[in-house]
Amino acid sequence: MLFVELVAQGLVQGSIYALIALGLTLVYGLLRILHVAHAAFFTLGGYVGVMVANQTGSLAAAIVAAMIVAGFGGILVFRLCYQPILHQPPFVPLIASIGLYIAAEELFRIIFGPSGLSYKYEFLQGQVVVFGMLRFKEAEIAVMLGSAAIIGVLSLLQTRTRIGVACQATVSDPQMAESFGISLRKVGDINFFVGSALAAFAGVMVSVLNNMVEPTMGSVPSYKGLAIIVLGGLGSVRGSLAAALVLGVVESFGTIYLGHFLDRNAIAFAFLILVLMWRPQGLFARA
Amino acid sequence: MNHKSLAIAVTTAFALQFGAPVLAQVKIGINVPLTGFAAADGKSALDGAKLAVADANAKGGIGGAKIELVIYDDQASPKEATPAATKLIEKDKVVVGVSGSYSASTRAAAPLFQAAKVPYVVAYSIHPDVTLAGDYVFRTATMGEVQGRAGAKLASDLGKKKVVMITLKNDFGQALGAGFKEAAPKFGVNILNEYEYSIPDRQFGALISKVKSDNPELIYASGYYFTAGPLVNQLRAAGVTVPVIGQEGYDSEKFIEIAGVASEGTLVTTSLDRDSPSPVTQAFLKDFRAAYNYGADMVGASTFTATAIAIEGLRKTGGKGGEALKKAIEGGTFSTPIGTLTFNDLHEVKKDIQVQVVKDKAFHRHSVISDPLLLAPPTKAK
Repeated sequence: MLFVELVAQGLVQGSIYALIALGLTLVYGLLRILHVAHAAFFTLGGYVGVMVANQTGSLAAAIVAAMIVAGFGGILVFRLCYQPILHQPPFVPLIASIGLYIAAEELFRIIFGPSGLSYKYEFLQGQVVVFGMLRFKEAEIAVMLGSAAIIGVLSLLQTRTRIGVACQATVSDPQMAESFGISLRKVGDINFFVGSALAAFAGVMVSVLNNMVEPTMGSVPSYKGLAIIVLGGLGSVRGSLAAALVLGVVESFGTIYLGHFLDRNAIAFAFLILVLMWRPQGLFARA
Repeated sequence: MNHKSLAIAVTTAFALQFGAPVLAQVKIGINVPLTGFAAADGKSALDGAKLAVADANAKGGIGGAKIELVIYDDQASPKEATPAATKLIEKDKVVVGVSGSYSASTRAAAPLFQAAKVPYVVAYSIHPDVTLAGDYVFRTATMGEVQGRAGAKLASDLGKKKVVMITLKNDFGQALGAGFKEAAPKFGVNILNEYEYSIPDRQFGALISKVKSDNPELIYASGYYFTAGPLVNQLRAAGVTVPVIGQEGYDSEKFIEIAGVASEGTLVTTSLDRDSPSPVTQAFLKDFRAAYNYGADMVGASTFTATAIAIEGLRKTGGKGGEALKKAIEGGTFSTPIGTLTFNDLHEVKKDIQVQVVKDKAFHRHSVISDPLLLAPPTKAK
């Protein structure tokens, strides 16, 4: 019983990680950049969400607004911050990205204050009992179903539409794709838009789960997301999704049984080290 | 601006600096976390300190000299607190320091104030090492261990014997946990299990599943409002209905806002009694709300108190710092929003523990734990 509950809680957490890691993977696959500032869009999503929800009383409006704002924010970051330095050695965009994240965190604090914001209305706070024994918050169910649905739709779009195929082509061979008339910039825009919008969705859902948005809420996801995409085999979308879910479950058990000597947020990295010793290419990448 | 007018401006500036009569000022230094994870508490602390200074200046300052508050952000981190304390002492030459910060940073700053013989009044950090830095360090907060012991007594007063502990893995949480565990056997309180979490954690789903399977009668959970808010909210959502005892860290309107309806009934061991009949406390609560438009919390009240004690000491010495000020604070009795305080030989205060309960979206008096033996702060002897 406890075992099942822990797995279920792990999957809730894993779905959130998956939403965040997907954007990171998209960016890494395309530009080979470790996009630390991605977590800023998770936080931004939370803030836009809580403000729109408190104004309109509608969570749906909040989610849509958060995803759109973060999506365009993502495009801005791509064009203004990353594109001008793409030809530099990889550590340059990495440092830019870290700097951007720190600046964003402080900006959130200056604009919205240090204490964090909460929802004025209750959203998805009710309880759902599944199979007569597992108790979830409605928001927990929503985050699992929501991420599954969004990721499902995205994978359909990626294989069934021209632009999706163009994105895939660009990731596997940018130069060849460009010579076929695919605009790198357009593909970059799309990847950043989609990735940042997903992070924003995760941000809204987490802010509903905790009933709190704070300037530092992205700090753990910022580096844990990196651990997840490495676990998943850098650049592999399916790998990252699987790694996110596995990490969620491992953490769930780790919190209970290893919590006394290993911090929950260190578990991801301990797990990462173990996996890399055994499979240096990542859990799910083909060797 | 041409050369001539520039020359005049520079000369005037120098003349003003050296020639003009300097208004006498007394400098009080404070280190507070204004950025980083503890920034919200830092704001509350600084608001408290500023209110104390404004109050004193409105009443004529120190013998006519205005009090200036010199502020440094320490991010609640030792590596920021060390340069902050050094600057306060060396550069700003403050006569007295106030800590409006957490234990980690205050522990780093205290020895520097001690070495410079600048009295340092610590508002709300609760780690035992703080006052061990030396006799220039004073603390207005009840130590973590003492508060933890009060928690065990409260559990027993409520008739609950089977307890699960959820402990925040930092100086604050561990000191509280140690006190609770030490006193629990005395009251026949049985600790079924203890789980730990760290400051960035906001999601407790897994931990709560395990707590449910332990089936406790009460939960003793240490934390700050930003961890405790989500924790209590998620506990109630998961169907855990047993009482939760928190501590000073919960003591903020923000806790009630974040936990929402789930916060109702949460008990908190703290130092600020909102329903206190004391005119000092009531005046403070009223002034604080008037000045800042939000309700004072434990951090604001404690930092106000620490600053007010420093000012009261300075009044006695006529603005002199050093040993004179140390003696003035040592020997004084201070009526403050958190009670009437005197310092023992280790410069800890002895006071009752206020138990507040969340009722109708506000903190109210639940009970007062007054047990001189149980709540005795450590002395120099031990």
